[in-house]
Amino acid sequence: MGPSRARFLSLVPIALALAGLTVFVVHGQSSVDQRLIVLGNGLPAVDAGVTFEETHSPSAAEAIRRIAIRTAVQQQRMNDAPLGYVPGRVIVKFRDGAGAADRLDAVRSASSTAAIAERPSYANFDIVRIDPQADAEAVASALRARREVEYAQPAYRIHAMFVPNDPMYKSTANFTPGQWNFPLLDLEPAWDIQPAAGSAITVAVLDSGLAYLDRTLQVNLPAFRDEFGVRYPALGRQTIPYSAARQVVAVDHPERIVAPHDFIWDNDTMPPLDFDGHGTHVSGTIGQLTNDNIGTAGVAFNVKLMPVKVIDSIWDDLFGAPNMGDDATVARGIRYAADNGAKVINMSIGRTGPPDTAPAIEDAIRYAVGKGVFIAIAAGNDFEDGNPKEIVAEIASRVQGAVSVAAIDRHAVGQTGALRCQGTPSSPDCHAYYSSSGTWVEIAAPGGSERGFDRDGFVWQQTFDFRQTDTFLLPPNQFRAPRFDIIQYVGYIGTSMATPHVTGIAAMLMQQGITDPAAVEAAIEKFAIDMGKPGRDDLFGFGMIDARNALRGLGLAR
Amino acid sequence: MSTRSRRTLPVRSPKRLALPGLALRSPKVLAPRLQRSRRLTLQAIAVLAMAVPASAQSLSQISLRPFAEVTEESFNAIDTFTSVFGRTYQPFWGGGLQVTLGDRYYAELTASRFRKNGDRVFRNAGQTFHLGIPLTATLTPFEIVGGYRFHLTKRPWLVPYVGAGVGRYAYRETSQFAADGEDLDTRHAGFIVHGGGEFRLSPWVGVGTDVQFTRVPGIFGRGGISQDVGEDDLGGFAARVKFVVGR
Repeated sequence: MGPSRARFLSLVPIALALAGLTVFVVHGQSSVDQRLIVLGNGLPAVDAGVTFEETHSPSAAEAIRRIAIRTAVQQQRMNDAPLGYVPGRVIVKFRDGAGAADRLDAVRSASSTAAIAERPSYANFDIVRIDPQADAEAVASALRARREVEYAQPAYRIHAMFVPNDPMYKSTANFTPGQWNFPLLDLEPAWDIQPAAGSAITVAVLDSGLAYLDRTLQVNLPAFRDEFGVRYPALGRQTIPYSAARQVVAVDHPERIVAPHDFIWDNDTMPPLDFDGHGTHVSGTIGQLTNDNIGTAGVAFNVKLMPVKVIDSIWDDLFGAPNMGDDATVARGIRYAADNGAKVINMSIGRTGPPDTAPAIEDAIRYAVGKGVFIAIAAGNDFEDGNPKEIVAEIASRVQGAVSVAAIDRHAVGQTGALRCQGTPSSPDCHAYYSSSGTWVEIAAPGGSERGFDRDGFVWQQTFDFRQTDTFLLPPNQFRAPRFDIIQYVGYIGTSMATPHVTGIAAMLMQQGITDPAAVEAAIEKFAIDMGKPGRDDLFGFGMIDARNALRGLGLAR
Repeated sequence: MSTRSRRTLPVRSPKRLALPGLALRSPKVLAPRLQRSRRLTLQAIAVLAMAVPASAQSLSQISLRPFAEVTEESFNAIDTFTSVFGRTYQPFWGGGLQVTLGDRYYAELTASRFRKNGDRVFRNAGQTFHLGIPLTATLTPFEIVGGYRFHLTKRPWLVPYVGAGVGRYAYRETSQFAADGEDLDTRHAGFIVHGGGEFRLSPWVGVGTDVQFTRVPGIFGRGGISQDVGEDDLGGFAARVKFVVGR
């Protein structure tokens, strides 16, 4: 920690000088109202090592505040409109036979202010712009009544599926948690079977982006109010350092990143930089660099990663991103991934209803699976919050080739053939307390839990130092610009963390020869270690995924 | 009869084992080949030694007829074999001893072996995915069959026969990355029926060809792809050709 901090301090003046010079050079290229400019240089990240901070445990005050502030900021962006959907737009898919005049007529009949926007990329649907004050659900309903329309829906908000928690492979005195989650899945013998660990497979991570570049950001930070209405001052133009998580993207292997794309900034020149940390953490579980004597391991540690940003963070919102994570960005992200060579998609994201349908996303999921892409989707973290139906995960349960993933905690111990739950009276099984249950749950994987384990129960990977990024948690008079160049190992919990385990193993199954998404799902479910009630159940689905057995397949009689 | 007896005696002569020509070559290079040749010669002598002149046969006479066989079996576990090896038909090589009683009744003791390399698979909705993990299956049947040989004419060049019996089937399946206890090495009983005809090529050599059916439960259907596809029989229909020495 000491040397790292010294290195960090020595790099600060250099970074600021470089950034200032670059700002001077390119300043004239920025538009007046653009609040975020990504400049083409930056310094490597400062590795802050491991930080045992638990501000991201589900019950932590900081975690609750993150959600509240994000909600407040987004409400301000959406003029205090209901948060269920993005105001001012409706997602519409017209029937193939509907002509331009019919489409226009249908749109006008639903809302006099409505207009069909230019079709966005990677979409088989259109975006109909409406008055931001108009009731998007009413407009969508009116559109659905038209024969020219196949489906119409508001742009329902999608969010990351982690139970926000912020806090390496073997447990040591210095790092007691270890990556308990990997041996549990019998990954070591799976790596014996496939040392290449998914090297031929591209995994798209539809999330909040990925820390994969060293850049300098020039931002214009406006004032905002938190959930209590407390005003945070505008900071004006700021220069922010941004660095890649070097355990996800090695300096000498930039080719690991394939076709990155950002649907939040919706700009081909904007790299899908992660301003949240969630996408980087999820990507780490899938493909963290492994066997290099540094930090933690990843499941399929040689896969190529395709960061597709479909979820906005608080900072994206404050920086003025044009889009927020909704059904449209997610549907477009799925199609983009399928069209650009991804074989597996990780979606540690989701939403609850109402409405109980997401036709744009379902259409995109079926399109991707039809193109040979396997999709893993988080089953939800709302078990103790009424356990509502998870709409995106529920789609997975109806599509062979997409699975919804529930979370188990560290009560699960042992390996294949000896897996057991060492529960307690208050927590009798391995079910993670937050993991949503329902008919849509198909498979379970380690998502972690702090209950009974504290920090030893988290899933650990590399991402940002939240003390440097989540400055909005500070009082207004201490509020400062974030910096995204301090990287550390942080523990998260949630079905968001369970899902990338399944994604990584699916990538390895694809590489091993099971190239059909439906067969990948069948293999994952067949070789799962049954948990809970015999057979499939609503808590664990078919049970806990077993990497080694799935990868090894079957002989004639054994 | 005496003539036929004399024909056998020179073959038993130890002189045939001297193989003087081979001794001229480098012992270092040829030692394994020499050993193999000696072994084959000894085996041939043993086979012929067991052959009893048919001329000595009557209804109460016993004839020992060693044979070698090659069998092509179409396994009943069609999906299992197709998934792993790409086809259902698989070859066996073996041999045995047939004991005839007056050239009418016979008992046949056979040992054969099938061995094939493939790779482990996963099967879904009728589609098989090969996983590239090497697998070797070895089936070694030990069968004993009793039956009857039909003499349709006084000097039959073709002798039809039918028989039935039981077998002990040793099955071994090994694959890479197997943990302790995951490879399979088991034995189960099965039964066999066969029928065919034996053609006499010479008074001492015959070629038999027959069709046989075996049923071998207890090995398949308890794991692996055979369990997945619901196949529990390691038997099948086989076409067999055997080369018989003796009359």
